[in-house]
Amino acid sequence: MRFVVVMLALFVTSLVSAQAINSGAQPIALNATLGESLTLTLSAATVNFTLAAGSAANAGSTNITATTAWTLKPGRTALGVYAYFAAAATALIDGSGDSIPSSAFFISDNAGASTALTNTVAFGGANAGLQIATVPITAANRTSSRTDVMVYNINLTGGTLPQLPAGTYTGTLNIQAQATP
Amino acid sequence: MRLRTQLAMVAVAAAMLVASASAQVRNSAANPIALNAVLTQSLSVNLSGNAVNFNLVASSANNPGSTTVTATTSWVLNNIVSLVSLYAFFGSSTSALTDGAGDNIPSADFQLSDNGGAFTALTNTVAFGGANAGLNLFNTLVFGNNKGTHTDVMKFNINLSPLPNLPPGNYTGTLTIQAQAI
Repeated sequence: MRFVVVMLALFVTSLVSAQAINSGAQPIALNATLGESLTLTLSAATVNFTLAAGSAANAGSTNITATTAWTLKPGRTALGVYAYFAAAATALIDGSGDSIPSSAFFISDNAGASTALTNTVAFGGANAGLQIATVPITAANRTSSRTDVMVYNINLTGGTLPQLPAGTYTGTLNIQAQATP
Repeated sequence: MRLRTQLAMVAVAAAMLVASASAQVRNSAANPIALNAVLTQSLSVNLSGNAVNFNLVASSANNPGSTTVTATTSWVLNNIVSLVSLYAFFGSSTSALTDGAGDNIPSADFQLSDNGGAFTALTNTVAFGGANAGLNLFNTLVFGNNKGTHTDVMKFNINLSPLPNLPPGNYTGTLTIQAQAI
């Protein structure tokens, strides 16, 4: 106990009388890079349709959810999510010259109205696309994400489609996002 | 004849005794040499490296530095009792790292783990640096003319979970390590 008291007294005395000694300041340079990113992932990659001749309602076998995630640099003002085919006239084909055009292919996004792919968008063929979503980008959402639940339908009532021959029709629908400018 | 010889030897011995009794040792004056040895107080910090890179993932809490840095603090002190402390700090708490375009990573989101301890943000006001921009790495009490060292292996992390809207870019900053003895 006496030792502790003595040492405490010495410490206090020392602090009172001593001046602080500082070492040199040693710098460590820090360099952190946050890259720009934009990704889109799908919950599934296949949808099947059991077609009924001349029917307007030929629903896809499953919904597909597109999850778009982004980290964007300042200056980006908008983000779009698009669905498209490479060619409007031949969205799905049977390989024998018979086709289902993109105008007969419909998507309902997040329970919205079912809309045909008839627009010219950032990707794909002319009149073969649909902008599913438009997101204004501000400082508040430079890093964010969104989901789009897509329900599909093929309408075989238009034009010559009621006479579409029986067969297996295949095609590729693409989903893609773009940040601008 | 023999007696004469003995008398002669006695006489020589007597003469030697007389001579010895009368001689004195002579000493020079003492010449002092003043000795003055000064061991200067010193306190230094050496770092094993002076650059750390981070590949950031947006909104992620885990963005570790590319390397650890070891700080070796050495001291020679002459205070009776001293307290040696080591600090890590930034110049400003709000802009520990910056992209130069107004976007910053504050010191509250820069974390340091010392010698395997928990990651701790630099949010304290310490002996150096900006207010709320520092962290005390260690304190050690030393006694007398004490010479010692202390090693601190520092790991770094940037927590971006509080910064979900940090824009992409290159963020640079300077973390300073400095010791103080009082």
